[in-house]
Amino acid sequence: MTQSLGTSSMAAARPHWRHSTLSNFVERHFKWLIVMPAVLLILVLSIYPLLFSMWVNFVNYDFEIPGHAFVGLQNFTTVIADPNAQSALLLTIILSVVNVAIEFLLGLVLALAMVKTFRGRGLVMAILIIPLFISPVIVGQSWALFLQRPFGPADYILSQLLGRPVEISWLTQSPWYYIAIVIADVWQWTPFMFVILLAGLAAIPAHLYEAAELDGVSTTQAFFYVTVPQLAPIILLAITFRLLDAVRLFDVIFMMTGGGPGTKTYTASYYLYQVGFQQFHLSVATAGSWIFLILLSVVIMVLVRRLLRAENR
Amino acid sequence: MAGSLKVRRRARRGRGSSAVRFVFLALFVLFVLVPIYWMVITSIKPTSDYLTVPPVWFPAEPTIVHYTAALFSYRGLQGLINSLIVASAATVLSTLLGTMMAYGLARFNTGGHHLAFWVLSQRFLPPVAIILPIFLLFRSWHLYDTHIGLILIYTVMTLPLTVWMMYAYFRQLPRSLEEAALVDGLSRWQAMWMIAVPLAAPGIAAAAVFAFISVWTEFFFALILTSRHAFTLPTVFRAFLGFQGAQYGEACALATTSLVPSIILGMLVQRHLVRGLTLGALRG
Repeated sequence: MTQSLGTSSMAAARPHWRHSTLSNFVERHFKWLIVMPAVLLILVLSIYPLLFSMWVNFVNYDFEIPGHAFVGLQNFTTVIADPNAQSALLLTIILSVVNVAIEFLLGLVLALAMVKTFRGRGLVMAILIIPLFISPVIVGQSWALFLQRPFGPADYILSQLLGRPVEISWLTQSPWYYIAIVIADVWQWTPFMFVILLAGLAAIPAHLYEAAELDGVSTTQAFFYVTVPQLAPIILLAITFRLLDAVRLFDVIFMMTGGGPGTKTYTASYYLYQVGFQQFHLSVATAGSWIFLILLSVVIMVLVRRLLRAENR
Repeated sequence: MAGSLKVRRRARRGRGSSAVRFVFLALFVLFVLVPIYWMVITSIKPTSDYLTVPPVWFPAEPTIVHYTAALFSYRGLQGLINSLIVASAATVLSTLLGTMMAYGLARFNTGGHHLAFWVLSQRFLPPVAIILPIFLLFRSWHLYDTHIGLILIYTVMTLPLTVWMMYAYFRQLPRSLEEAALVDGLSRWQAMWMIAVPLAAPGIAAAAVFAFISVWTEFFFALILTSRHAFTLPTVFRAFLGFQGAQYGEACALATTSLVPSIILGMLVQRHLVRGLTLGALRG
């Protein structure tokens, strides 16, 4: 704080309350006091529950069995040995990778198509971002409505386009239920990739392309030697943010397939919800959520460290 | 000469690729709009138009009966009111606490990078990891199925967003005005509220809208932490699971009711969208 700023004549008129102990205290510890309410709230409603669940991991916390007896690692062994847990984890990984990959590619193509201005660009932009503001529950419901016979028009449209009758049971027939889930997720989150990548594309300085053009570089070459390297940190950012949300996949499953048929479309979140809140094996579900969290934090550490390195460069 | 030739060739290729571009954009716009259109149209379709082949793309006699049914027979109105209460209160709380914290991080570097990244890490914590203990604690704290409980959990959920968006925003603002105010005898508290916050008002408004939208559309916490009393609008859609009663119109009427406010709000903050999606990491 430099004295040269402002006029010191005003400083003489300091009100007397500034000398009271309270305001002195506030002034001295201001930097901590203003962060305190938010930090306390996070500690109470996020960190304390996590610590509490550490204890739940090792006891029996089950609404069907009274008492909280210490059971050691039994909750962990139960969940690890559960074939439903294994397949749910596998499906979560596959769906996350497939969803994010498709969303990235479509988002990139959209961003490339939208980077130059044209008439009606504002309207197209406004339409493309609509899915970002819709609850995933509604996205799941409206895709279920659109796809599933007898109500949905999807089969009718497909049979008109292909010129032969199409009868797909989108939510109950393998592999169509996976495809239906992917369609809903891609519909909702491609705009996320698109918006971020478009911002990245727009930030690439035009002189790089002009220089490439002077060197007689083709459009394709310019894409791989100018666009991709310039965009790399933003690609990493977009994929990191998206991937860490994609692994949570729950709402769409809940609305479209309910995990079914059978347990075929259980994702990690949906499995933990079933075990914890439908079967009320709270300890087993807690142990499962810790395993999920630990696996996820490995991914987070790798991706976020990369991200920070890219930012610093 | 060679230069102008190259330019002409490039222009021709540009025209060809722009046709591909517009076809692709048109198809994607269609892909985005068709399910929404189908939903909105279904919400005003009479029941007799439900199962026709070919499907009815616009009903000859639109009706609003599904809206009254969804709002009154399926407790949609109660869900709507609860959602408004919870989302508004959580938005105010999160914006208030988040702005204060962001100011501390940006101006005083409180806690260094560690504190800032600790808050960010909360954003990446999957809800399913904390929902079980939260559920147990809420039951013993008598917060289960209350507005207050949901408001608090949504405040925590949106804090990383408001803190980081405002953190990025405050760092862009010059310090000199606040420093001058301090020299003029204002307390740090006053300098924050009277100088920095008004300057950051557009950013604060955008952060608040994003917080509101993310609470408005949230399902998982509300599903588990509420039942008969504090249930929010997204949880009402459970009534239509599987459509055993063929309540297509009711489901769509409720969905339309829910998405109109969040889309309108979203369009208002479109300019800040990149910031909102990346928690201020990118400016857009």
